[in-house]
Amino acid sequence: MNNKLSPAARREETWGWIMVGPTIIGLVVLNLWPFVQTIYTAFCEHLGFGHYQFVGLANFTRMFQNAEFWKATWNTILFCILTVPVGLFLSLLVAMLLNAKIKFKGGFRTIFFLPLVCAPAAVTMVWRFIFNGEYGILNQIFGTQIGWITDPKFVMISCSIVAIWSNIGYDAVLLLAGLQNIPKTLYEANSIDGAGKVKQFFTITLPMVSPTLFVVMIMRLMSAVKVYDLIYMMVEDTNPAVTSVQSLMYLFYRSSFVAGERGYGSAIVIWTVLLIGLVTVIQFYGQKKWVNYDV
Amino acid sequence: MKNSSLEASQKRMTILTYVVLILAALIMIFPFLWMILTSFKTVAESNAVDPVVIFPSAFRWENFRDAVTSLPFIKLYINTALMIFFRVLCAVAFSSMAGYAFAMLEFRGKKLLFGIVLVQMSLPSQIFIIPQYQMVAKMGMANSIFALVFPGIVSAFGVFFLRQTYMGIPKEIGEAAYLDGCNQWQTFYKVMFPLTGTSVAALTIFTAVFAYSDLMWPLVVNSDLNMMTLSSGLATLRGQFSTNFPVLMAGSLLAMLPMVILYLIFQRQFIEGIASTGGK
Amino acid sequence: MKKIPRIIAAVLAAALVLSLSGCGTSDGKTHLTFQIWDVAQRDGMQAICNAYTALHPDVEIEVQVTSWGEYWTKLEAAGESNTMPDIFWMHTDQILYYADFGILADLTDLYASEDSNFWTDHYSDISIGNASGSDDRMYGVPKDRDNVVLVYNREMFDAAGVAYPDENWTWDDMMDASQKIYDATGKYGYMAYNDEQLGYWNFVYQNGGYILDPETNIHAGYTQPATADAIKFYVNIQKNEWCPDQTFFAETTPGTAFFSNMGSMFYEGSWNLLSELKNYPDMVGKWDIAPLPKCPNPASGDGTGTISNGLCYSTAAAGKNLEIVKDVLRFFGSEEGQRIQGESGAAIPAYLGLEDSWTTEFAKFDYLIDTQVCYDQFDTCVQYINNASRRKWKSNVADEMVKVYNGADIDTQLTVMQSIADQYVTD
Repeated sequence: MNNKLSPAARREETWGWIMVGPTIIGLVVLNLWPFVQTIYTAFCEHLGFGHYQFVGLANFTRMFQNAEFWKATWNTILFCILTVPVGLFLSLLVAMLLNAKIKFKGGFRTIFFLPLVCAPAAVTMVWRFIFNGEYGILNQIFGTQIGWITDPKFVMISCSIVAIWSNIGYDAVLLLAGLQNIPKTLYEANSIDGAGKVKQFFTITLPMVSPTLFVVMIMRLMSAVKVYDLIYMMVEDTNPAVTSVQSLMYLFYRSSFVAGERGYGSAIVIWTVLLIGLVTVIQFYGQKKWVNYDV
Repeated sequence: MKNSSLEASQKRMTILTYVVLILAALIMIFPFLWMILTSFKTVAESNAVDPVVIFPSAFRWENFRDAVTSLPFIKLYINTALMIFFRVLCAVAFSSMAGYAFAMLEFRGKKLLFGIVLVQMSLPSQIFIIPQYQMVAKMGMANSIFALVFPGIVSAFGVFFLRQTYMGIPKEIGEAAYLDGCNQWQTFYKVMFPLTGTSVAALTIFTAVFAYSDLMWPLVVNSDLNMMTLSSGLATLRGQFSTNFPVLMAGSLLAMLPMVILYLIFQRQFIEGIASTGGK
Repeated sequence: MKKIPRIIAAVLAAALVLSLSGCGTSDGKTHLTFQIWDVAQRDGMQAICNAYTALHPDVEIEVQVTSWGEYWTKLEAAGESNTMPDIFWMHTDQILYYADFGILADLTDLYASEDSNFWTDHYSDISIGNASGSDDRMYGVPKDRDNVVLVYNREMFDAAGVAYPDENWTWDDMMDASQKIYDATGKYGYMAYNDEQLGYWNFVYQNGGYILDPETNIHAGYTQPATADAIKFYVNIQKNEWCPDQTFFAETTPGTAFFSNMGSMFYEGSWNLLSELKNYPDMVGKWDIAPLPKCPNPASGDGTGTISNGLCYSTAAAGKNLEIVKDVLRFFGSEEGQRIQGESGAAIPAYLGLEDSWTTEFAKFDYLIDTQVCYDQFDTCVQYINNASRRKWKSNVADEMVKVYNGADIDTQLTVMQSIADQYVTD
C-alpha cells in the first residue's frame, strides 16, 4: 500500500505522524486510557482500592431504576436550557454594544472579563451572600422573601445566573472578535437602503457572526452538561433544595469520590458522555440550517 | 431635515448603548465591589445580618496582612506563573504542530486521530484525576512544578482551535514555501507558524485562565503549601478561616491581581487573535 | 524563527531539572512525610515532629496539609498505587475501609516490648475502639478525643433572666429557656439543625436508642422506638418559633448565627472552640460552654451521653520505612508526644490524664471558657458511630434525612433509612 504513494506524499505522511505524535501520545496516556478504564469499571463493582469485580450491566440497571438519577439528568438538561440560550443572547448583546463606537471599550471589556480571573471559591461565596434568603442583598433590593438557593423552585435559576455571569465576558469577547470580522462595507451598503437596525441584525450581523456563535455554543453546551463545581459550591448537601439542582457530574462525584462506588459512578459518566455526544451531533447536523460559511 | 432626525436617532442609540452597558457593567462588577468592601470589614461586620453592614467601619489592612501571613503568596505567585508558563509553552508548541498537521497534511489515520481529539473534549475532567495522580505518584513526581503542569502537557482544545486557524490560511502559501525547497517542518515553523501569532495569543489567555482556575488537581497532586497555586492555596485558606470572610476576600483579591494585569497586557492581541481566526 | 525547537528543548530540560528536585535524599537522613488535613493543627504537629527529630537527628519529618475533601481522594489513590505518605491522620469514618483492606500497618504490638498493658492503661476504650479495625486489632495510635458541648450566650440568658445551663439541665429546661429568651429578646433559642454528630445522634443515645446495634455494630436502629422518638423530638424542635428552620441553616450555619448574635444556643464540637475564640474577638467573654442537656425520661439509661470521636496516626502496611515510622509513632503515642499536642491547643490529647494540657491555649484569652466541661463529659461518652459499610450508606441516609426536613413523613423515612443502612448486612 505504501508503494502507491509518491515519495513526497510518503514524506508528508511521515511528517504528519511526527507532528501529531506528541499530542496523540499525550492524549492517549493522559485521557483516553483513563476513559477506557472508566468504561471497564462501569461494568464492575468497586471492592476497594482499585480492585474490581465484573458485574455486567448491574450498574446500569440500578442507574436507570433510580429516580435520583433521572432527576439529575433532567436537572442537567434544564441547566443547559437555562444557561446556554440566555447566556449566548446576552453575550451577543454585550458584544454588539462593545462593537459600537463608544469610549472606554477596554475598560468595559475588562469588567466583563473579571469573573474569569476570580478564584471560584470566592465567586460562589459572594453570590451566596447576595442570594441569602434571610438577609441577602437581592431580597433587600426587591423587597422579596425568596429563598434563592434554598427554594426548589428558584435554586436552579440562581445557579444559572451565576453560571451566565461567570461566562458572559469570555463569550462576549469571542463574539466581539467575530463581529469585528464583518466588513463595514456591508453595513454601509445596507444603510443606504434605509434598512432598520433590527433588519440589519437579522440580514447581516447574525449570519456573519454565526460561525463564531456556533463554536461558542458547542463549547458552552459541552461544559454545561459537565457542570459540577459551581453547583457543588453553591448548594451544600444538607440544603433542602439539593435534589432540585443536583447535576449528573455532582451525582458522579458523590458516588465515586464520597461513597467509593466507582462502578456506579462510571456508569453515570458513560451516560453523561453519551449525552454530550448526542448534543454535539445534533449541533453539527443543525448547523447546516443556520450557520453561514460563505464568508 | 431628514439628516438631523437621523442624527438625533443616532444620538439616542448611543445614549441607550451607554446606559445598557453601564447597567450591565454594574451588575458584573457588583460582586467584586462586595468582595472589596468585605475585605476591609471585621468578621462580625462581614456576616452581620440585622441590618446588613455595607461599608466597613474602617479600612482594616490587617485582613490583607493576615492573608499574606497565612499563605506563602510569593511562592504561590511563582508556582502559578511557572505552571501557566509551562502549560502555555506545551499547549502552544504541541497544539501548533498537531493543528498544522491536521489542517494541512494528508496522512493515514488522520480522521481517527482527530476523533481522539474530539472525544477528549467531551470527557469530564474529573475522571482523569485519580489515574493521573497515580501516574505522577509512580514517577515519584508528586509535590513538584512538573506535577502541576502534567495534565496540561497536551491540549485537545488547543489542537481544535489552532486547526481552525490553519484551515483559514490559504494552502498556496505552504505550497510556495515547499517549492522554494523547504521541507514540511521548515514550511511549518518558518512560514506558517508565524502567521498564527494572534491565535496563539488567544490560546495563551485561554490556557492561562483554565490553568489558573483549576482547583482540584493542585490540591490532589501537591500537598506542600509551598507547591500550591493561587486558587488551590486559597481553598486551603477557606478551611482555615471557614467563617472569616474578610481574610478570604482579601486573599482572593490578592490572587486575582496578577491575572487582571496579565489580561490587560494581552487583551489587544487577544481580541485581534480571535478576530483573525473567527470561527471557521 | 528557530525558536520552537529551542523552546521544546528548554521545556524538556526544565522538566528534567524539576523532576530531579522531586527526589533529593542524598544527605543520609531518612525523610518522612506526615499528611494531615487541618491547617490549624499544623504548628502543633510540627512541634511534635521537632521534638522527635531533636532526639533523632538522622530523621526529618515534613508536615503536609491537604484539605479534607482532597485528602481522602488522594489517600485512597495513594493506597492503590502504594505511594502513601509515611504517617497520616486517620478518621473514624474511613479507618475500617482502610484497615479491613489490609492497607494500614497493625500497631497493636507497638509497645509490647516495654509495657504490654500500655494501650489499656493510657487510652480509653473509645479511643482504642476508634483506632481499631473490624478484627479489633489497632491500626492507629490514638491522637485526640473530642465531644459535643452546648454553647450558650451569657448576655441573652441574663437579659431573659434565665439561669445558665448546668449539668442538671434536661431537654425540657433547654426548651423552656429557648422560649423565654425568644420572648424577652427576640433572639433564637437552641438552634437545632440537620446534623448527625452535632445533632440528632446525641439525642438518640441519650434516649437509650442507637444508630447501630451496640452488640454487633452491624444492624441499624433507625426504626427502634427509642431512636425514632428521639429523632422525631429533634426534628420537631424546628417547629418552635424560637428555632430557625432548615432553609435558614442551609445558608447560615448555627455557629455563624450564634456569633452574629442571632441565637442563644447551639451544639458545637470541642475541636472548633479555639478557632471561634480567635475568629470572634468581640464575642470573647459573652459566651461559655455547658454539658449537653440530659434526656428527662429516657427509654433506658440515665439520659446522659455525648458523641465522642477521635483521630489517630496511621501508617501504610507496605511502607518503605516501616521500622523508623513505628519508632516515630511510638513517640507520638507517648506521654510527651501527647502533651506537646495538648499544649499547642491542637486538640484534647487521647492520652488519659493529659486533658488539662489543652486548657493552656484557652487560658490566653481574657475570658476562660469552662473547658473542664469537655473533660468531665468523657465519663458519659458514646463512641462515634461507624461500621465497615457506613461509607456506602452514609450519604444516602443523609439524603433521606433531608427529605424529613422537607416535610416527608418521618416514620416512612426512618424505614427507608433503616433499609438503606441494612442493605449491606450479609449474614
